Amino acid sequence: MKSKKLNADIKTELITQYILSTLEQNKSPENVYLFAKKMGIEEKEFYTHYSSLEALENDIFRAWFEQTKITLETAKVYADYSSREKLLAFFFAWIETLKNNRSFVKFMFEKAKNHMPQTPVFLKLMKEEFVKFAQQIVHEGIDSKEITDRKFLTEKYGEAVWVNLIFVIKFWLKDDSNSFEKTDEAVERSVNLAFDLMGRSPLDSMIDFGKFLFQNR
Amino acid sequence: MEQNSIPSSKVERAMRFVKTGVQIGGNYMKHYSKKMLDPSLNKDQLHEDNATDVYNTLSELKGSALKVAQMLSMEKNVLPRQYTNKFQMAQYSAPPLSGPLIVQTFIKSFGKAPQEIFETFNMKASNAASIGQVHEATLGGKKLAIKIQYPGVAESIKSDLKMVKPIAFRLLDMNEKELEKYIKEVESKLLEETDYELEFKRSIEISTRCAQIPNLVFTEYYKEFTSKRVLTMDWMEGMHLEEFLKTNPSQEIRNKIGQAMWDFYDMQVHKLRAVHADPHPGNFLMRSDGTLGVIDFGCVKEISIDFYYNYFSLLVPELMKDVSIVKRIMLQQEIINKSDTPEVQQIITDAFVKMTNLLRTPFDYEEFDFGNNEYIDKIYELGEEVSKMDELKKSKEGRGSQHALYINRTYFGLYSILNVLQAKVKTGVRDWSKDLIQYHLSKSN
Repeated sequence: MKSKKLNADIKTELITQYILSTLEQNKSPENVYLFAKKMGIEEKEFYTHYSSLEALENDIFRAWFEQTKITLETAKVYADYSSREKLLAFFFAWIETLKNNRSFVKFMFEKAKNHMPQTPVFLKLMKEEFVKFAQQIVHEGIDSKEITDRKFLTEKYGEAVWVNLIFVIKFWLKDDSNSFEKTDEAVERSVNLAFDLMGRSPLDSMIDFGKFLFQNR
Repeated sequence: MEQNSIPSSKVERAMRFVKTGVQIGGNYMKHYSKKMLDPSLNKDQLHEDNATDVYNTLSELKGSALKVAQMLSMEKNVLPRQYTNKFQMAQYSAPPLSGPLIVQTFIKSFGKAPQEIFETFNMKASNAASIGQVHEATLGGKKLAIKIQYPGVAESIKSDLKMVKPIAFRLLDMNEKELEKYIKEVESKLLEETDYELEFKRSIEISTRCAQIPNLVFTEYYKEFTSKRVLTMDWMEGMHLEEFLKTNPSQEIRNKIGQAMWDFYDMQVHKLRAVHADPHPGNFLMRSDGTLGVIDFGCVKEISIDFYYNYFSLLVPELMKDVSIVKRIMLQQEIINKSDTPEVQQIITDAFVKMTNLLRTPFDYEEFDFGNNEYIDKIYELGEEVSKMDELKKSKEGRGSQHALYINRTYFGLYSILNVLQAKVKTGVRDWSKDLIQYHLSKSN
């Protein structure tokens, strides 16, 4: 590999080769030494880009997440969307992004199967960024009154949306309908449900009433 | 209006139907307990109660179940009128797709968001159809109408129909075999309707062939923006039936529109031998200049030669006078079966002849006034009478060819629209009857 290449390019190349190698062998490269050898670089050089294979795996999903966000934000309509629509749009766009690499995603989820329901190791980095992103949407939703601000709970909404995302990915991996129409339905319905739950509900009124009774009896 | 609870899983949807079944049972209980106190009570209130419950259930469902409601509402002859009124309401409302899902559907179909394709695109649906919704857009200064289908419609049709079955069974008062035929026919037609590419092909075909009918207008379709789930056409101005009537159109204008509609169906049935558009109010746009726009070609019933020559002979009085021809037609149409006793054959034949005579009435005049409520009421009455006939109900086999289902539906639909429109139509031109007479004479010899 030519050292003239930009750092980012080499990273992209590493990612591409990593995915390719995984798909062709139907197993992940076993260690950095073997992977570097395959790439025709020294092990030492690999470490200037990633600290471990796990870090590389994490970076794959983080990069896809970044890419999805950019696609979204460059779309004209996105800015006018309500919070609910922004989240819906992200889910749809995310599945579109993953479509280019469905086999790889499937392989990764299979591999992590035994550790579910914990967040798979390779999604740690993406999760961090996604929860930040989701939390921002939640705050916008609170401002626009789409979402009810509930003490303590509100800060956990980002996490809840993450669980929703994982659900959709798993649904999609099992979906065998034409052009994944069922997944579209799953997205539409689960996100709508999530927003309905985050919106004002009878429970809020009950708690409110309970507080009133407690303070005034 | 966003609907907040779309029943999602199959189980949940099934539960809704079960609930309705229970409610209907409850309504019957209520009816009979009231009746014990007040023997003069008739079944109107009961039907009304049932219709409300069934309507409430169906209106919460999207896609095929809604379509079934629509179909039931067309079958005025089978359903008590109270049901029909309720179902008619179902024809215009379904919960909308979210903005992002619209974008997603476009990306899947054309690789681009609608905002990238069109100069303007209104994300708010201007209209809901039973399996999709209509959006307004502009391109090159032209106003377009874009129909977008809900995802997964085709997939859920089969399971929905299975669940509608027990309800339909109670509503339609049909025996099981008959219902089976009915459901099969409905299912295959519904599946066709989900394919917008097919609808595109058909609309081109029919608009070319019906171009010369006066006062009938078709719209332009765009192939490059059409996929299985998206259909793009020129926006057509006009009003739906109810709305149009509120503008108080003159009798002359009503007649013009009624005539265009009549000629359109005459052309389809006797020349094209395929009925391309449901005569249901949502598929037509009426304009104050007396022209009629046709906008939906989702449902097509092809009419086979054999069926054509038999079924439509029922509309030719000369042929109906000949008992042997009538019997042949009844057997071919499976309205009577060889295994029936002669008495049963006679009873059913008589009832059927009575019904077709009534249906045929408009054809017997040079001009027929469909505004005549007495006539339309007679059709409903007879329809109910026939559906209650023990000889038909007890029969283990289905009665009536399933093709007749769509044709009947077409004519009842057509008559009822013309009735609401209060149109006088020139119906006497029956140039096709010679051909039918010829056919049967050659068979009899």
